Amino acid sequence: MEPVSIVESVLDNLPVAIFAKDATDDFTFILWNKKQEEVTTIRRAKALGKNDYKLFSRESADYFRSVDKAVIKRGKLMKVPDEILETQDGEEVHLRTVKIPVFDAATQRQLVVGISEDITEQVRSREKLESLNKTLTEANRELQETQMQLIQAEKLESIGRLAAGVAHEVKNPLALLLLGVDYLSQGIDPDDQNVDKILGQMRDAVERADRIVRGLVDFSSQRALMREQTNLKRLLDDVLLLIRHELTRSNTAVELSVPADLPDVYLDLSKFEQVLINLIINATHAMGKTESPKLEIVVLCEDLQGVVKNQGARKKEVFRSGDRVVHLELRDNGHGIDSKDSGRVFDPFFTTKATGQGTGLGLSVSRKIVALHGGELTLKNRENVKGAVAKITLPTKVEAIPGKQGSKKVKDVDTNASKLA
Amino acid sequence: MSKKVLLVDDEAGFTELLKMNLEKSGDYEVQIENDPTQALGTARRFQPDAVLLDVVMPGMDGGDVQAQFQGDPILGNIPIIMLTALVDSAELSEGAVAQSGSSIMLPKPVDLPLLLGVLSNALEAAEEV
Ligand SMILES: Nc1ncnc2c1ncn2[C@@H]1O[C@H](COP(=O)(O)OP(=O)(O)OP(=O)(O)O)[C@@H](O)[C@H]1O
Ligand SMILES: [Mg+2]
Repeated sequence: MEPVSIVESVLDNLPVAIFAKDATDDFTFILWNKKQEEVTTIRRAKALGKNDYKLFSRESADYFRSVDKAVIKRGKLMKVPDEILETQDGEEVHLRTVKIPVFDAATQRQLVVGISEDITEQVRSREKLESLNKTLTEANRELQETQMQLIQAEKLESIGRLAAGVAHEVKNPLALLLLGVDYLSQGIDPDDQNVDKILGQMRDAVERADRIVRGLVDFSSQRALMREQTNLKRLLDDVLLLIRHELTRSNTAVELSVPADLPDVYLDLSKFEQVLINLIINATHAMGKTESPKLEIVVLCEDLQGVVKNQGARKKEVFRSGDRVVHLELRDNGHGIDSKDSGRVFDPFFTTKATGQGTGLGLSVSRKIVALHGGELTLKNRENVKGAVAKITLPTKVEAIPGKQGSKKVKDVDTNASKLA
Repeated sequence: MSKKVLLVDDEAGFTELLKMNLEKSGDYEVQIENDPTQALGTARRFQPDAVLLDVVMPGMDGGDVQAQFQGDPILGNIPIIMLTALVDSAELSEGAVAQSGSSIMLPKPVDLPLLLGVLSNALEAAEEV
C-alpha cells in the first residue's frame, strides 16, 4: 500500500468533495479526495491524470472548462451556480461548488482547486417542503370552497323556511296593485281625488315587492364576499322587512335602537342578511313559549380603550385599543341557553330543535361570515333577564381591502383566506 | 239602503284601496279597522252587515277575530269573508270559494269581481235568514 501523507488523509476525511486541476497541463486532475469519489462515483485512480473531457459528457466538460478559465482570468474565488451531476449509476447529485485559483510556486503550476458541497439532501427536503406547502395551499383552498358551499347550503335551507313568508310579503303589494288597477280601469274621472293617492300607493307597492324579491335574489346568489359601505340601520330595516311575516306570526314585538351618527361598516349585504335572519329566527324559536315575545335590537359604537370592559381576552386578539367598533346586539326574552349547551351552540350541527326544525348550522355559519368580515359573534344568556343576547362586533374601518377608495364594491375573499383556515 | 262593510286588515294601503273600490262599485258604506285587537269594538259601534278579514295580522290573527265575532250575540250571524295570501288560488277550485265554518275564504291578491259577487251573495243569504 502507498504511503499516505497527512494532508491526503485529512482531505479524505473532510465532508466536502475536493479536487484540483493543473491548468498548465490541459486541466488534468491532480487531486481527487474520497468525498469527490463518492459524489462522482469515479475512483481516484481513474480520475487522476485525466481531464473533464475524458470523465464527463462533452457538454458538462465544456461548462467546467469555461468556469475554470474564468477563475484563472479573474484570479479569485468564484462561486459556481448550483449544479446537478448525474453519476455513473444514474443518480442525481446536487452540488454547490466554489473554485479557487492556486499558483504553486514550487512547481510553477497554475492550479484550479474545487470544493463541492453535496446539497442533495437540502434540495430534496426543500422540494418536499414546497410540495407539502402546495398540498397545504390546495387543502386550504378546498376548505374555503367547502365552507362557501356550506354557507350556501345553509342559506338554501333558510330560503325554504322564508319562502312562505316571502310569498306573503310579495302578495300583499300585489293585492294592492291589483286593487289599484281595478279602480282605475273603471274609468278615470279627472276630478277624482283618489286617483293620485292610488297611483302613489301603487308605486310604493311595486317598490316594496321589488325590494323583497331583490333581497331574496341577493340572499340566494352564491358568490365571493362582496363588501360595500353599509348603513346598519338600512340593512336592519331590509332584514326586518324580509322576515316580517315570521315576526308577525310569532307575535314578536321588535324594538330597534340605532344611534343617528352611527359610522358605516363594510359588509357583504346578502351574507350579512343571512346572519341577521339566522339570529332573529333563532330568537323567535327561543321565544316560542314566551308570553310577550320581544326582540330588542341595539346598535352602539365604541372606541376601544386600553382595557376593554366586559370583554374577555379573545376580543383583544381581534381588535386593538384605539379601534372604533360597532356592536349590534339582538336581545330576546326566550328560554335562554341551557348551561350544559353553552359551549356547543356554535358547533356545526349542534341543535336542540326537533328533527326537521333545525340543522344546527345557523350559528356556525353565521360566526364564519362575521369572522370573514373581521368581526366577532357571541351568544350568551342575558344578565338579569331571562333570554339570550347575540352580539356582533364589527370594525368600522377596513384596511385590508385593496382598492377600497376606487370602487364601492370590493371583492376580498382572498385577503381573508387565512382567516378561514 | 246601502250595506255596511267593515274591513279588518293591518295593511292600511290595502284597506284604503279596497274601500275606494267597494264604494265606487256598489252601494256600500265602508269602515276600516287596521288594528285587529280593536275589530270587535269597532264592529259593535259600526254594526256592519259583512266583514272582510285578513288572516295574517300582528297582535291577533284573523281566526281569533273571527272567533270573537262568532261569540257575539249580534255580530255572530254576519257573514265574514277571510282574505289570505297564504292559500294559492290554485288550491281553490276554479275561482270557487272554500267554505270554512260560516266564513268564506278568498285568496289574496283579491279578484275584485269575484269579491263583489261573493259579497253580494253573502249579504243576500244573510238577509233571507
Ligand atoms: N336566541 C337563542 N336563545 C336560546 N338558545 C339559542 C338561541 N340561538 C341559538 N340557540 C341554541 O343554539 C342551537 C344552535 O343554533 P343554530 O342556529 O346553530 O342551529 P338551529 O337553530 O338549531 O338550526 P338551524 O340550522 O336551522 O339554524 C339551537 O338549537 C339552540 O339550542
Ligand atoms: Mg338557527
